[in-house]
Amino acid sequence: MASENSGSTRRLAYVMVLAIMVLLPIGVAAYKLYVLDYPLAGLIPAPSYKIEVSMQVDGHGEDIDIHTYLPKTDSRQTVDNEQNSSGAFTSEIKADHLNREASWRAENVRGQQNVLYAYSVRARHVRFNIPAELAIPDTYPATLASYLVAEPGIQKDDPEIAGAVQRIVPAEKPTILDAVTRIHRHLQDNMANRNFSGFTDALTALRLGEASCNGKSRLFVAMLRKLNIPARLVGGLVMQQGSKRTSHQWVEVYINGHWVPFDTINDHFAEIPANYLTLYYGDQVLFKHTANVNFQYFFKISKQLMTQPDAQSALSQSMLNVTNFYAFFERVGISQNLLTILLMLPLGALVTVVFRNVIGLETFGTFLPALIASAARDTGLLWGMVGFLSIIIVSAVVRRGLDWMQLLHSPKMAIMLTTVVIVMMAITVGGVQLGLFELAHMTLFPIAILAITAERVALMESEQGGMKVAQITFMTLIVIAACYAVMESLFMQSLILAFPELLLVVIALNLWLGKWIGIRVMEFLRFRRLILAGAK
Amino acid sequence: MQMLANLETTRERAAKVLSMNRRNLHYIYTRNERKHFPLADDKLLAKETLVPAGVRMPETYRVYSYFYELQNLEQDLEPFHDFVIKPAQGSGGNGIIVIAGRKGRDWRGISGKIYTLFDLQKHITDIIYGVYSHDLGDRAVIESRIVQHPVMAELSPLGLADVRVIMCDDVPVMAMTRIPTRQSEGKANLHQGAIGVAIDIATGVTTNARFLGEPTERHPDSAIPLIGRAIPYWPEIVELAKRAAKAVPLKYLGVDISVSPDGPQLLEINVRPGLEIQNVNGRGMLPILQEITVREAGKDE
Repeated sequence: MASENSGSTRRLAYVMVLAIMVLLPIGVAAYKLYVLDYPLAGLIPAPSYKIEVSMQVDGHGEDIDIHTYLPKTDSRQTVDNEQNSSGAFTSEIKADHLNREASWRAENVRGQQNVLYAYSVRARHVRFNIPAELAIPDTYPATLASYLVAEPGIQKDDPEIAGAVQRIVPAEKPTILDAVTRIHRHLQDNMANRNFSGFTDALTALRLGEASCNGKSRLFVAMLRKLNIPARLVGGLVMQQGSKRTSHQWVEVYINGHWVPFDTINDHFAEIPANYLTLYYGDQVLFKHTANVNFQYFFKISKQLMTQPDAQSALSQSMLNVTNFYAFFERVGISQNLLTILLMLPLGALVTVVFRNVIGLETFGTFLPALIASAARDTGLLWGMVGFLSIIIVSAVVRRGLDWMQLLHSPKMAIMLTTVVIVMMAITVGGVQLGLFELAHMTLFPIAILAITAERVALMESEQGGMKVAQITFMTLIVIAACYAVMESLFMQSLILAFPELLLVVIALNLWLGKWIGIRVMEFLRFRRLILAGAK
Repeated sequence: MQMLANLETTRERAAKVLSMNRRNLHYIYTRNERKHFPLADDKLLAKETLVPAGVRMPETYRVYSYFYELQNLEQDLEPFHDFVIKPAQGSGGNGIIVIAGRKGRDWRGISGKIYTLFDLQKHITDIIYGVYSHDLGDRAVIESRIVQHPVMAELSPLGLADVRVIMCDDVPVMAMTRIPTRQSEGKANLHQGAIGVAIDIATGVTTNARFLGEPTERHPDSAIPLIGRAIPYWPEIVELAKRAAKAVPLKYLGVDISVSPDGPQLLEINVRPGLEIQNVNGRGMLPILQEITVREAGKDE
């Protein structure tokens, strides 16, 4: 019989495709692990900090300027996801080879105004070994000249400072290691740390015998410059979970072609911890602003875990790596973020399939929960669900109103979608105004998805009634949460980014589920009287 | 020990229930090719195929596909005392208006509701726009109203009851009649609160009834007993279902039939018949299906 033959051919094709979908990705992953020596440590999420700089002024009709320094990405720290929410203020960012200075300006400012700037930081702990025999050079390149001169707060040529240097480093021709060790130990051990925020110059710090970070750092720089060793101040932030107003200063010393960090408040010798964020170089003031505007600021710091995309890019350098395709995406400017969303979508769809076909929950479509979950990536699960619910409620209310007016179907749908777009825009604008970045992220991507939701919901409501829509909405929310948990799992993200071939395994699982004829969990409930012994 | 025995019984009983996944994969996909779905989804297409094959269906009075055709609606409807307006591709009994007669210039629905000319035009426009179909556009059908057989009218005083027969490979598998209630607002849809009454295929006598998921023996609104009743024209109903099943290339079907005083008429065929009929009958239908398919395979060889 012909159908018998086509049946067995079909079964053979199914088994073969299934086998390929399982074996191929296992092979590719094994090749990457053993031949390309893929670092498994790259799968472990790395800590990252989200920094929000909040600034506030009271205006009385004057023009107001605010300046501050923003961190730069360098070999030690990576800064990304920068967001500016400045209300009436226009912002401008200027960068030179050392510093990045942001300024906000507004005219005729009245009342209390807020400026919010946020970014994410990943930074490494760095430690230097200073060769013991390294002598202090006699001359340096001209570019370093400015790191050897006296400055208003760094009085390196003052006789008192010269005398102190003589006492602390008595040798005629000290090595660099000897000089920095003695000065670091002296500032660390013989001078008390004082926790006050005012400006202290090098000489004052020396005379008082105690200082805060900025006084000690200036004295450190002054003494080294006196010894003809280039040194500079570094301003930044010690990143700890919570809110803080205090910034920090430390020192970098030019040794053998490297700028080596020292901190005599927290005793870091030639090293810098992973939670130090560099904001600027030189003897600068972190915040400058128009006078008499009651300027207030604070930093809000939250620690979070992120995937390590660097591990993957290290792999991409290998000539042997035929599986690498991220370079292509990078070349056309597609962000890692978008790529992650794209790669996690199939996993979300798989989760939805399990909920629909194995558990038996109904959802709005197969892709919708996964799409909403990825839209919730920027807003957080809670706000994503709030957005989803508000769309359903808005579209239901609007549809009722339009039904009552007795309009034709298509124009009705068009009005509904327009309303949805307006509501999403309003939420976004409201979020920006209130400085709630999570809400501000209801961007066009989710709007498109939610607009589709709106039409589905309206159709379903007119066909099957409000109760049904409420039920499916509830079940969809459950599935969205499950999708979110899987898609936002850092481990899953790291795994898929490192081994995108695992998407074939997702296909294999769907192939298997596609032939699964078992009774769904919800069907056990539905047919419990037929199934359960003793049940009536 | 008792628990283990229970577990074993549960496993055996579960193996008799046709699950959604199995229905889709082993019965719908293998027996109903997607290209033939329109035959079932579109009632006009179904009529074109079934009526020539000798299947009795309600008479089509008018079909509206475009808005401009609605200009003469009043004149078009003039010759007909009572009629039904339904979407050609509707489902679940949605979008159906049953007109019982005129009232002045307006029309009177069976429930007594009054429809103006504008109401009917609006309803037909909605149908054409696809409000009641999953597709973008649809056709509105005006057809003869079915009057129920007195026995059916007694069982189902609140609206048109239908008889659903599941057909697999042209053999009847399970049957029930669906009786509208106040809860279901006159619709013969189990999920909306119609009563499902199981019919023994061999005898045409009702055996079980369920209302809102619970067993019942009487109509919740009229208190009429529902069990042990003989469905009129039962042999003809089974014959009609078989004839309809043979006439279409769809081999797993729900055939919906209503019974008028002069015999059964086919209302529609459904390519994705629901599973609730198992609860109504109080047993799983997988053993029956497997027996049919084994028998059919035997015939072929």
